Amino acid sequence: MDAYEVRGRLDVIEEEEAADEDAFVMVQDSPDVFCGDCGVLTVRGAAAHVSHALVTLAAGAQQMKDQLSKSRSKLSEKIIEMENFASNLEEIFITVEENFGRQEQNLEQHYNEVLQTLSQRNEARAAALDEQKNDKLERLYGQLLRCGQTLDASKELIESAQEVHRRRDKRAFLQAVMPIMKRVEQFAREEVDLKLGASLDFDVPTTDLSDVRQMMESINVLPAPSAPVMNPQIANSATETSLHVCWSLFSDDTVEFYELYWRLISDDCTMETPQEVCQLKVKETHCTVSDLLPNAQYELWVTATNTTGISPASERAVYMTVPSPPVIKARQCVSSLDAALIRWDSGNTNPVESYTLEFQEASADGESTATESIVAIPSCECLVQLQSWKRYIIHIRAVNIGGPSDRSPPLHISTTGTFFHLLEDTAHPSLSLSADGLTMFYLDEDLPISHMTFSDNTFNRCVAVLGDLVPIRGQYYWEMEVDESAEFRVGVAYEDTQRNSYLGGNNTSWCMRHILTPSRHKYEFLHNGWTPDIRITVQPLRIGVFLDYGRGILSFYNAALRQHLYTFSCQFLHYVHPCFALDNPGALTLCTGLTAPPYVAQP
Amino acid sequence: MRRLHESRVLNMNRLTKLFDKPQMVFTYINSELKRSLFVYRSAMALTQVSSNKCCDGYQKVFEHDSSELKCKMKFAIYLPPKAESSKCPVLYWLSGLTCTEQNFITKAGSQQAASEHGIIVVAPDTSPRGCNIEGEEESWDFGTGAGFYVNATQEPWKTNYRMYSYVTEELPRLINSNFPADPEKMSISGHSMGGHGALICALKNPGKYKSVSAFAPICNPIQCAWGQKAFSGYLGADKSTWELYDATVLAESYSGPELDILIDQGRDDQFLSSSQLLPDNLIAACSKKKIPVVFRLQQGYDHSYYFIFSFINDHIKHHAKYLNA
Repeated sequence: MDAYEVRGRLDVIEEEEAADEDAFVMVQDSPDVFCGDCGVLTVRGAAAHVSHALVTLAAGAQQMKDQLSKSRSKLSEKIIEMENFASNLEEIFITVEENFGRQEQNLEQHYNEVLQTLSQRNEARAAALDEQKNDKLERLYGQLLRCGQTLDASKELIESAQEVHRRRDKRAFLQAVMPIMKRVEQFAREEVDLKLGASLDFDVPTTDLSDVRQMMESINVLPAPSAPVMNPQIANSATETSLHVCWSLFSDDTVEFYELYWRLISDDCTMETPQEVCQLKVKETHCTVSDLLPNAQYELWVTATNTTGISPASERAVYMTVPSPPVIKARQCVSSLDAALIRWDSGNTNPVESYTLEFQEASADGESTATESIVAIPSCECLVQLQSWKRYIIHIRAVNIGGPSDRSPPLHISTTGTFFHLLEDTAHPSLSLSADGLTMFYLDEDLPISHMTFSDNTFNRCVAVLGDLVPIRGQYYWEMEVDESAEFRVGVAYEDTQRNSYLGGNNTSWCMRHILTPSRHKYEFLHNGWTPDIRITVQPLRIGVFLDYGRGILSFYNAALRQHLYTFSCQFLHYVHPCFALDNPGALTLCTGLTAPPYVAQP
Repeated sequence: MRRLHESRVLNMNRLTKLFDKPQMVFTYINSELKRSLFVYRSAMALTQVSSNKCCDGYQKVFEHDSSELKCKMKFAIYLPPKAESSKCPVLYWLSGLTCTEQNFITKAGSQQAASEHGIIVVAPDTSPRGCNIEGEEESWDFGTGAGFYVNATQEPWKTNYRMYSYVTEELPRLINSNFPADPEKMSISGHSMGGHGALICALKNPGKYKSVSAFAPICNPIQCAWGQKAFSGYLGADKSTWELYDATVLAESYSGPELDILIDQGRDDQFLSSSQLLPDNLIAACSKKKIPVVFRLQQGYDHSYYFIFSFINDHIKHHAKYLNA
């Protein structure tokens, strides 16, 4: 009975039920109650059903309807099951057909091979026999020829002898007879080789049919597996020192185990011998390979083995381990109220694809806050916009095809002020910096010029150094502490300010200058060699510098007194850098990270 | 004042109910009115002379009877927009020789900066007027228009020529009670003779003024012709009395809260070259006593109001730093 028949039966039941309902209706006149126990209509008070459960017709009808629908639903479920089974069977039919087809193909192939081999052997053998035959025939023929020749020669001899014999002339006869007799005797003495040159038998070599036998045997045996296929590297499955390798087998072959091979691909062309190949025996179609180098490419391939033999090797796949985490260069990072420029070391000898910068607010109570990321950074520095008056924690990851590295050690940034450092490679050789990079000294020693190493980037006349700032046109504030006797120049300059001129003496730098004369302190505010005439009665020992790109101003303050000293008005065409110089031996200390005091930042 | 008037009106209403004779009521009302007006006038004693809207605020001129100078005095006052809703700090500006309350408000261009920083600027006259003192009109650098901001001790000047007290006491009282001025926040500035006035008011009243600045001030009057003429006239021959009104001498003996003095001086100022101003002396004294001064010698500028106009914004900004702190 198939599904359709069952369904057909069910429809019939429905019809019957409907018909029965009608029947119920027709009989309604006489019976008025329904006996639940017997399941029949009856009259109230009927003796047969006295102790039975009697219900009204309506209730009885409802009960029976409920029962009917329950049985109906059970039947529906059964139908669904059978339908599923039927379709499953269909699939199985198809699979069996397929499998059979495959086996048939396999067998056909095998037998064809065997047949081919046999016919090859046959031909080979026949050819050998043929050769032998030819060989023998040749020899016999040769012999025949020789016999013929010998015969001819003998006949000739006899004829000539007979001729001589018939000669009447006794003298001529005697003259000619001796050599002829000698020749005849010689000839008669010769042995006649009457042996056959070749044997009449054929030498049949035994054909080596062992491989055919083997093939016949292997027909009934499992084939060796076909080559597996290496999967491409799954994203984020690798670590610095391990790879998660996967492969697949696209056939139904039985496999006992796989063998995975890998080798480091080295970019180093000078290595003559290839790296050694490592291998691992694995039962599953995946495995984790460890003890690898970070940020390195490995060549991997796999073979499958069963009782019959080993499959051919798969195509080689290249996997890459994840890079080592970078290291942030804290001394070279700069920040301001609303941005930070982060610089780091790659942490890997080979190049990586890109870097990711992650930053999150540092919360006071150690709660985790949302992390934002900047991805696909091509070089080892990144400018990130931040909110003012907050503390941030910054990490960097290196990324290659294998995935991202672990996070670098963190860097803490406060967007409460201007943080920067001095660019040591711009410093004049006579200027030495303290260990923390914030104090500069012009020492009173006379270094011979030959001892000083200048480069294109160092100041070579003015004993000066540049600082670094976040390359954003915002507001910046920093302070400097100076000795009473220090003759200094402090201010800002373009990054490409002439290294062979004095700060303030050109149009690429603006600075405040202190000159100590025997009678008094002199102050200049230099740009392009020009200064206004300004007298200051109280010597500023702590100088505040305020830079505002938006308003185009550079202001100097006596920070201890909150006294404004001077303001340059200039529209800066490029980014400027803080600059510091000492005209005479002395010291100058930089204070960064300060918030601009309110009297400074107000317009 | 208004409330006073209103309360009297209420009283009158009550009173009218008592009186049944209308005539008596009217005379009573008249006398009440007169009395309230009299109270009004003596309490305020300020009459507005002019009012012009300027930079969203108002430049006004008032006249009043000065008790120190015993005559009617005018002063100019600029009320910034901020003064409509809250109290503002006050900058007192003292003008120089021959000026009245008009020169500064028409020539210096201070209203824009005062409006932006929310500062009231008061500019009084430079000497008592209309006192009919003999000899007051003879010179332009002594007498009328040349009060030198001292309290004169010599006749016939000592009754009226009390500009020091007027500027440091009467005027601030007047301003504080009639305008939305913050009594704790005052600064002072001036030009030439007014610069001298500003400096001595600040040096003689440590802590009274939050900041002080000056344009081409007479820094050392006892050493210059102007000062010697004025002081000998107002203060007599005893030079020790002169020192009480000399900024350089006062600086040398100053002790009090820290000052922050801004001085602008035109390099091409004829009075600088004729040794009337002598700023070097003041600078030397301040350097010695560590009084913070920034003195700017401005190339090409002279003694005129064009010079003041050019740098008035810097000065108002300088004062705003302390007044709005």
